[in-house]
Amino acid sequence: MNLIISTLRKDDLYNKKIIENIQKNISNVEIIYTEDMNIKGCIGCNRCWLVTPGICTIKDDYEKLLIKFLQSKQVVFITDLKLGFVSYKLKNIFDRILPLLTMNLRFKNGQMRHYFRYKKHYKMGLIYKGNGNREFLEKWLERVMINLDGTSIGTYNIENEEEILNALINC
Amino acid sequence: MHLLIVSCTPRAKEKSNTDKILDELRKGYEYNGNTTETLYLYKRNEWESIREKFYENDNILFALPLYVECIPGIMAEFLETLKPKQNCNTKIGFLLQSGFAEASQLRCCESYLETLPSLLGCEYNGTLLKGNMFAVSFLGSKMGKQMVEPFYNMGKYYAQNNYFNKEVVNDFAKPEYFSKKEIFLSNVVSPLNKLFMKVFAKKLGCKGSLNDKPYQNYIKR
Ligand SMILES: Cc1cc2nc3c(=O)[nH]c(=O)nc-3n(C[C@H](O)[C@H](O)[C@H](O)COP(=O)(O)O)c2cc1C
Repeated sequence: MNLIISTLRKDDLYNKKIIENIQKNISNVEIIYTEDMNIKGCIGCNRCWLVTPGICTIKDDYEKLLIKFLQSKQVVFITDLKLGFVSYKLKNIFDRILPLLTMNLRFKNGQMRHYFRYKKHYKMGLIYKGNGNREFLEKWLERVMINLDGTSIGTYNIENEEEILNALINC
Repeated sequence: MHLLIVSCTPRAKEKSNTDKILDELRKGYEYNGNTTETLYLYKRNEWESIREKFYENDNILFALPLYVECIPGIMAEFLETLKPKQNCNTKIGFLLQSGFAEASQLRCCESYLETLPSLLGCEYNGTLLKGNMFAVSFLGSKMGKQMVEPFYNMGKYYAQNNYFNKEVVNDFAKPEYFSKKEIFLSNVVSPLNKLFMKVFAKKLGCKGSLNDKPYQNYIKR
């Protein structure tokens, strides 16, 4: 399954347009709007590592996303850019991936990493609306994916529909 | 000189590594008669007054933990509520600290922080970065304090120079990467670390294994 998680409003025109386009051209797509969900930020309590390993203490709708990450072949996020970075709504979603890792550390390609809790190859990409430095976003997502033992499928401006569709089809 | 410090971790003061570091940094900054005031983003009901202080002050330090390769969500959320300052000469510096030990782990976020002040109508005053801070609060007052003591001098340095020079910071934050030998040694003691973590978790009330896979059944490959 291909999963699209949008933190934009459902009635956002750019959002509507790209999602229609993706649905038309790519099969087996599920769309989730976080507008309909209650997702809080990580509070740094470390319980998902040390007390209830793999399970977040915060009881909100995030668990649904975590399970979807494990089920999906690839996940593409849609976000606003704010101050050149992804909006806090999306950053909160990324901050809460810690249950997918374990507390323990090791070295991988010369840098410290956590062990992965599950054997799973995550593929994630980003569609952004607004101004920002694409090179930085690419670097950021790539590093995030290294932490998850996954691959970045890249970051795309929401207006570049052709590029987005090509990337999704070739993945 | 007066420095406004905004602590940008979601952790409460008592449990936060950022704050243990700030304790030392502040002492160094204030040693020569300078003053500081520290505000906390985890106190959400104070955001309105933090915003006001942001507009009033022209010498500001944002102190943050590295969260998934960049700024924590709570900090992004706060920044999104700010309006860029107009015609001011406000300077913003950063204190960025992380769990992983190598300075190279903090570079991605640093490159973002370099761009941030100008988007808020302010000037960039450099970033003090340092890894290996994960255990500061866990280790308790004595050992934890030892870990953060070097920040005293950096506080003094910032008071004198009003800028975090890259070379000075790089020296403070090293190593950039670990050597092959260090990595080898770390792999050798790794089983000990795991054992320590296991015992530590038991003490905190952990009933299962640290490697439990509660959602294993959902995985499709
Ligand atoms: C959600 C979350 C994400 C984190 N991401 C990173 C990371 O990407 N790299 C890293 O080196 N440390 C990471 N850390 C570790 C923290 O930066 C480190 O423990 C820091 O000292 C916490 O400071 P605090 O107690 O003031 O919040 C993360 C911690 C949390 C809770």
